[in-house]
Amino acid sequence: MRDQQREKVIQSVTWGLGGIFVLLGFGLMAMVLVGAWPTLAEPHALARLLSPTWDPMRDQWGLLPFLLGTAVVTCLALAIVVPLALATGISISRMLPWSLRPQAVRLLAALTAIPSVVFGWWGLETVVPAVRILGGQAGFSLLAAAIVLALMLWPTLGFLFAEALMKVPRSYVEASAALGASDDQTLVRILIPSAWPQLMNAFLVAVARGLGETVAVQMVIGGQVAMPAGLLSPGATLTTQLLTDATLFPPGTRGHAALDAMALALLAAMGLLVRLSARWQGQP
Amino acid sequence: MAPTIRTEHLSVSYHRTPVLHQISLEAAGGEVLALIGPSGCGKSTFLRALNRLVEETPGARVEGRVYLGNMNIYAPSVDVTQLRRRVGMVFQAPNPFPFSIFDNVAYGPRLHGVTDAGELRRIVERSLQEAALWDEVRGKLRRPALTLSGGQQQRLCIARALAVDPEVLLLDEPTAALDPLSTEKIEELIANLRGRYTIVMVTHNLRQAARISDRTAFFAEGRLVEVGWTRQMFTAPQDPRTEQYLTGRYQP
Repeated sequence: MRDQQREKVIQSVTWGLGGIFVLLGFGLMAMVLVGAWPTLAEPHALARLLSPTWDPMRDQWGLLPFLLGTAVVTCLALAIVVPLALATGISISRMLPWSLRPQAVRLLAALTAIPSVVFGWWGLETVVPAVRILGGQAGFSLLAAAIVLALMLWPTLGFLFAEALMKVPRSYVEASAALGASDDQTLVRILIPSAWPQLMNAFLVAVARGLGETVAVQMVIGGQVAMPAGLLSPGATLTTQLLTDATLFPPGTRGHAALDAMALALLAAMGLLVRLSARWQGQP
Repeated sequence: MAPTIRTEHLSVSYHRTPVLHQISLEAAGGEVLALIGPSGCGKSTFLRALNRLVEETPGARVEGRVYLGNMNIYAPSVDVTQLRRRVGMVFQAPNPFPFSIFDNVAYGPRLHGVTDAGELRRIVERSLQEAALWDEVRGKLRRPALTLSGGQQQRLCIARALAVDPEVLLLDEPTAALDPLSTEKIEELIANLRGRYTIVMVTHNLRQAARISDRTAFFAEGRLVEVGWTRQMFTAPQDPRTEQYLTGRYQP
């Protein structure tokens, strides 16, 4: 009898906590949506939000520089990190002597735990001067941000790629070898296709981390609100601009609503990623 | 004419632990040689030494010689991928790739450079017919191989091995994971392949060895105890250990 009662209590506590979690999630989305409403409800909302000018003094709230900054930094970082991480994953899962593989995986896992501010600090000391020397401009730039972001994502993505490749059943690899496949042929024709859903999922995790990264990017990107002229010019992303202006516009102001619109754009992008990742996992 | 495969003083160890000692054994061209013996006696390792798949296992070390026809397959000049083309293998648990039926059978030919669609279709059809699976899968070649039943999957794996035109077939307990009806089909298939291919088969099923092999080799504790004509061995074994094993009284 007491056991049943205890079970009931535990059950209601679980339900309650779950409910709070759902409420919080929806509450957050609702808050951002309501906050952004002033920018969404006005005439030509989309055109104004997508305009290339962000000038709070003249009531210009175009988000295009930040949308572009986010897109460029994330895409460039991924273009740099995906080949590196794939090479890391393949080396660990296929080429390293068996006795060293667990240590290598542990090392990567440890590297994933480095706080992003450390990467930002390191980028400030090395990447920014390097870009300055090679590119001849300030050094604080979209390129520097992408490089720092890529190096930050490398351990995580390499770790996830290695895990995905190591999960492919050994029987597939043996069957392929027994048919006369070279190691490279087995890699390209068996391992990568069999691990494809997991590899895609790892990639989406990296995209999400790239989109959401704030501190490390903010430290090296230069914080410029004008449309970037090229990879070497400074810029800003949705997340870094949110950070910069968060304390500038009190609630109720037009600027605050614009920041809410930025948060909404980030939420929408993340939601899309989650959907995509579910699709890659074969869920409806 | 299918070639002879012969080992001379073949020894294998894993991380310095010996698992096979000085095995000298021959499968004549076109015959079915069954390998029997208690679990862990080295039969599977022996089989894997015949296509050098044993080298994929970490810590494995091979000594001695293996001849396919006149070629020592462990000679440094031998191309392993070419060797494995000539010596096909089917594993204990059916292991089709997570691709379509067609792509499974076409995998080997594609590896070796066949790209012509018509030729691939002909190879796939011929191999599936040879593996007695064609009638069950014709018109469904685009379906995932993993939708087939266990017995069908194993015949698919045999078709996949046959598609690269091997001369020798190594079968590692090919029916261990199958029901009696599927087992019967595979045995029938092996009987039909006899003569065209030199077949070396590991089995735990003594009656299976008696039914389909020409000769049988009995392994125990990493050594070859006895080899002879199957009928003779099952009726009048030479070694007392063989007799104990055949009558279910073997104690290692």
